Amino acid sequence: MLSFEFGLCINCNQCLIFSVTTNADLTSLPEKHLVLLRDGRTLIGYLRSIDQFANLVLHQTVERIHVGKKYGDIPRGIFVVRGENVVLLGEIDLEKESDTPLQQVSIEEILEEQRVEQQAKQESEKLKVQALKERGLSIPRADTLDEY
Amino acid sequence: MYVFRDGEACVSRGGGSEPERGPRGASLAVGVSAPRTMFRYQSLEDCPLDEDAFQTLGEEDEDIDQFNDDTFGAGAIDDDWQEAHERLAELEDKPATARELEDGAVSDEMDLLGHHEENLAERLSKLVIENELEDPAIMQAVQTQPPMQQPGGLNSSIWDGSAVLRRIRGPLLTQEMPSVSVLEYAMPQRPLQGQEDERDLSERALPRRSSSPVIGSPPVRAVPIGTPPKQAAVPNFNQQILCPKPVHIRAPMQQRYPSPYGERMSPNQLCNVPNSSLLGHPFPPSVTPVFTHLQRAQLLGGAQAGRMSPSQFARVSGLVGSPLTSMNPKLLQGRVGQMMSPASGFRAFFGAPPPSAPPPSQQQQHPPCPGSHLQNLRPHPQMFRPDTTHLHPQHRRLLHQRQQQNRNQHRSLNGSAGDRAGHRSSQQEQLRKDPYANLMLQREKDWVSKIQMMQLQSTDPYLDDFYYQNYFQKLEKVSAAEEMHGDGPKKERTKLITPQVAKLEHAYKPVQFEGSLGKLTVSSVNNPRKMIDAVVTSRSEDDETKEKQVRDKRRQTLVTIEKTYSLLLDVEDYERRYLLSLEGERPALMEERKQKICDMYDNLRGKTPGQERPSDDHFVQIMCIRKGKRMVARILPFLSMEQAADILMATARNLPFLIKKDAQDEVLLCLLRPFSLVLYHLPSGTVTSLLQQLANLPQSVTAPAPANLHLAAVLQNKFGLSLLYLVLSRGEELQNSNAGTELMQDNQWTELMSMTTRELLRIPEAALAKPVSTPSNLLSLFSRYVDQQKLNVLETKLQLVQGIR
Repeated sequence: MLSFEFGLCINCNQCLIFSVTTNADLTSLPEKHLVLLRDGRTLIGYLRSIDQFANLVLHQTVERIHVGKKYGDIPRGIFVVRGENVVLLGEIDLEKESDTPLQQVSIEEILEEQRVEQQAKQESEKLKVQALKERGLSIPRADTLDEY
Repeated sequence: MYVFRDGEACVSRGGGSEPERGPRGASLAVGVSAPRTMFRYQSLEDCPLDEDAFQTLGEEDEDIDQFNDDTFGAGAIDDDWQEAHERLAELEDKPATARELEDGAVSDEMDLLGHHEENLAERLSKLVIENELEDPAIMQAVQTQPPMQQPGGLNSSIWDGSAVLRRIRGPLLTQEMPSVSVLEYAMPQRPLQGQEDERDLSERALPRRSSSPVIGSPPVRAVPIGTPPKQAAVPNFNQQILCPKPVHIRAPMQQRYPSPYGERMSPNQLCNVPNSSLLGHPFPPSVTPVFTHLQRAQLLGGAQAGRMSPSQFARVSGLVGSPLTSMNPKLLQGRVGQMMSPASGFRAFFGAPPPSAPPPSQQQQHPPCPGSHLQNLRPHPQMFRPDTTHLHPQHRRLLHQRQQQNRNQHRSLNGSAGDRAGHRSSQQEQLRKDPYANLMLQREKDWVSKIQMMQLQSTDPYLDDFYYQNYFQKLEKVSAAEEMHGDGPKKERTKLITPQVAKLEHAYKPVQFEGSLGKLTVSSVNNPRKMIDAVVTSRSEDDETKEKQVRDKRRQTLVTIEKTYSLLLDVEDYERRYLLSLEGERPALMEERKQKICDMYDNLRGKTPGQERPSDDHFVQIMCIRKGKRMVARILPFLSMEQAADILMATARNLPFLIKKDAQDEVLLCLLRPFSLVLYHLPSGTVTSLLQQLANLPQSVTAPAPANLHLAAVLQNKFGLSLLYLVLSRGEELQNSNAGTELMQDNQWTELMSMTTRELLRIPEAALAKPVSTPSNLLSLFSRYVDQQKLNVLETKLQLVQGIR
C-alpha cells in the first residue's frame, strides 16, 4: 500500500530530506504522505510544510484507524504536528494506494471496532498484571517507559 | 491630491517636488510606481521630505529593528489588517520594481517577500558557522545553484502575478472613473528611489505608518506577468491606464458570493470571490472614488474574510518572522492561476503586445505573456536540473518520471511552440488540482535540507554512525555479489552523500573579560568543573568477607573482559584503518595491531608474562561469563596458531566445568565455529593432546578408569559432543592424509580412540547429546578401532549413517 521513499536514516531528520526535495517539480501532483505519531495515530494528508524539527503541516488530513483488516478514515482538515511527536513520515505511492488487501469501512464502524479491540486489550492486560502481582512481580506501564 | 498614473501630478503639496521629480523621474522612467509613490509621499504625508531626508531615512534603516512588531508587523497597523495586507502587497512589489531598475541584477536571496526574506536569510546564514555552509555536500543538498538563480527571477514573476491580481482590482473598481485616483494610493506607497532600491524599502516605517485613505486596491501594474523587469513594462503601463479592459476579466467570471467559512473552497475559487464581489457591484459613477479604507475593507473583507483571513493574518503578523508566511504568496499564486483561466480575456487585458525589449539572457524563461507566469513556475527543462544525486534512487527516478510526464504533457498540449493557451491551460489544470503545491518555497526546502545535512556532518562516520555505515557496506557487498551473477544491479542502493568535514579542533577558551583579574568560574559542557572530590579508597584485605571476595573477583573478570573487548574492537577496525591510511603509516598500524593482539591474549590467559601459565583460572573465569565466551570466539581468529591451540586446550581441559556453568547461557556453541577453524590447522600431535584433554586422561597412559566422568560429561553436552566429533573428524582426516601414519603410530591416539569408543558405547542413547553436526568420516574412524558388531551399535546410536554410505 505504501512505498516508503526514504532509505535508512541516520537521524530521523534524514527522511525529511527526501520528502521535501521531491517537490522540486513545481507542477507535479501533490504527494500524499503518511505520518505515524507517537501516540499511534496514523495521519494521511498532503504535506505542505516542514521544518528542521520535523514540524509538519498537513493539508486535507485524514486520520486512518486500522483494526484488523479494516480501516476507516476520519477527515480532519489541516493538521499542524509538532515535530517531537512524529515517529515516521513517508510518501504514499498513489498508484499502489488502492492496491491493498485492507477493507475500508465507515467511521462509526471502525470506531466501534477500535473500542472493542481496546477493551479486549485492556482486559488481557488486567489479567496479566493480576497474575504477575500474585507472583510478586510488576511490570512498569508502557507509557512511563515511553521516554526512554 | 491626486496623481495620475503616469507620474504627472496635478496637485502636490510637498515642497520642491518638481525639481526632485526630474532626476528621479528620469532614472525611474522604468519604474512603474516610483515617481508616483514618491510623489504621494510628499503629497499625502504632508511633510516636505526632500531628497536628503529620504536618503537619511534609508541610512537609518539599518538601525531599525526589523522584527519590531510595532514598526513592521501587526502593531504597525492602526486599522484593519486587511489594509495592512494590501500594503504588504505593495511591499512585494518593491523587489519586482526594484529589479526593474537594477539592470537585472537579481540577488540570490531576493524573494517573494523581498528584502524581508533576504534579511532573514542573512540572519540565518549568520547563525550558521561559515565553514559548514561551504561544505560541498551541504551546498549540494541545497538547490540554489547558479542555474537556480532563476528562482529569484521566478519569484519576481510569481510576485508579479499577485501584484497583477491586486492591480486587476484597481481598474475593475475604477472602470467607471478612469480619471480618478482610485487606482493608486489604495495603499500608502513606499517611495521608490533609484539606487536606494538596493536596500529594503519595506524597512521604512514611516511610509507604512502613514495612513492615507485606502482607496480601492492598489494600482494595477501594467507589467504583464512574467515580463522581464525592465523598461518594457512602462509602455504597457501607459496603455493599460488609458484603456483598462477589465471587462475581459469580468466576463467569464462567475458571480459567486463568498461562501461560509466551513465550506471548502480552494484558493482558486477564492479569486473568483473577491473579483466577483467587486465586479458584481459595479460602482455607480456617482460614488465618490475615495472610499474610506473601512469601506474598502468591507468590500474586500466581506469577500475574503471567509477565505483569506488566516493566511493574510499570518502574513501580516509574521511577515518578518518565518518563511512560512510565504504561504500566502503561494495562495496568491494559486489565485493568479485561477485568474488566468479566462485565458483569452486575460490576454486581452494585457492586450498590448509583450514588451518588445528582448528579455536579457537571464530572463529567458520569462516569455512575456501572462500565461508564461505559470510556465515559469514549472521549471524550464533546460534550466532547472535539481541536484538529485543525494536522493534515494527510486525517489529520483520517480521525480524524473514526473518531470518527464509533465513535459510531455505540456508539449503535447502545446502542439506548436507558440500555443500558449493550451500550455497554460494544462498548467492551470495542474495548479487547480493542487493550488497549495509549493507552499514551501524551494528556498525553504533547501534551508531545511541544509540544516539536516549539517547535522549529518561528521569527522568520522564510522565513529558517529557505525551501524548505518556497516549496513550499507553489507548491502553493497550483496548487490555487488548479485551483480556478478546477474546482468546488472537489481536494485540501486545509494547512500545519502553525507558531508565530510575536516576535523576542526576548537580549542575551548573559557570566557574572559578584558581587564579582569583571573577567570570566571563558569562551568559548561565544554569546561566542566570538578564539583565533587571523589577519592578512591581501597579496602583492606582483612575486612573482606568471602562473598565480597567472590564478588570482587567477578568484577575483576568483568573489567578484564571489557578491556579486552575494547582491544578486540580496535583490532577488528584495523583493516579499515589500514585501507584509509597512508603508506607510511601502515607499518606503525601493523605494529599496533600486533601489540594489541598480544595484549588480548595476555588478558585472556591471565598476565604472567614470560612464565609458564600455571593456571587456567583466569581464563576459566572469563569463560564463565557469557560475554567472555563470545569474546573468545571473536578473538580466536586473530591469535596465532600456538595461542589458539592453547586456548583450545584450556577449554577442553575445563570443559565439564564450563559446561556446567554454561547450562543457562548455552553460549558455548558460538565457539564451535572458530574452534573448528583452528582445528583444521592443528598438527596431529596437538590433536592428540586435545583429545586427551577432552577425555581427561593424564599425560602418561595409565589404566583408564571404568567410567570417565569427564568424557561422559562432554558427551552429554551438545557443545562437548560436537567438539569431540570435530576432533575425531580431524584425527580421521589426518589419518587419511599423508601425515596420517604419524597418528597411527601414536599409541596415545589409539589409546584415546579406544577409550572414546568405549565411552560412546557405554553411554545410554538417551543421555547422548545431539551434536550440531555429525562428521561423515566418523564411521571410518571407528571402524579402525572397533569390530563390526560394535561398529553397528555405534552406527545406530550415533546415527552415523546418513543416507547411502
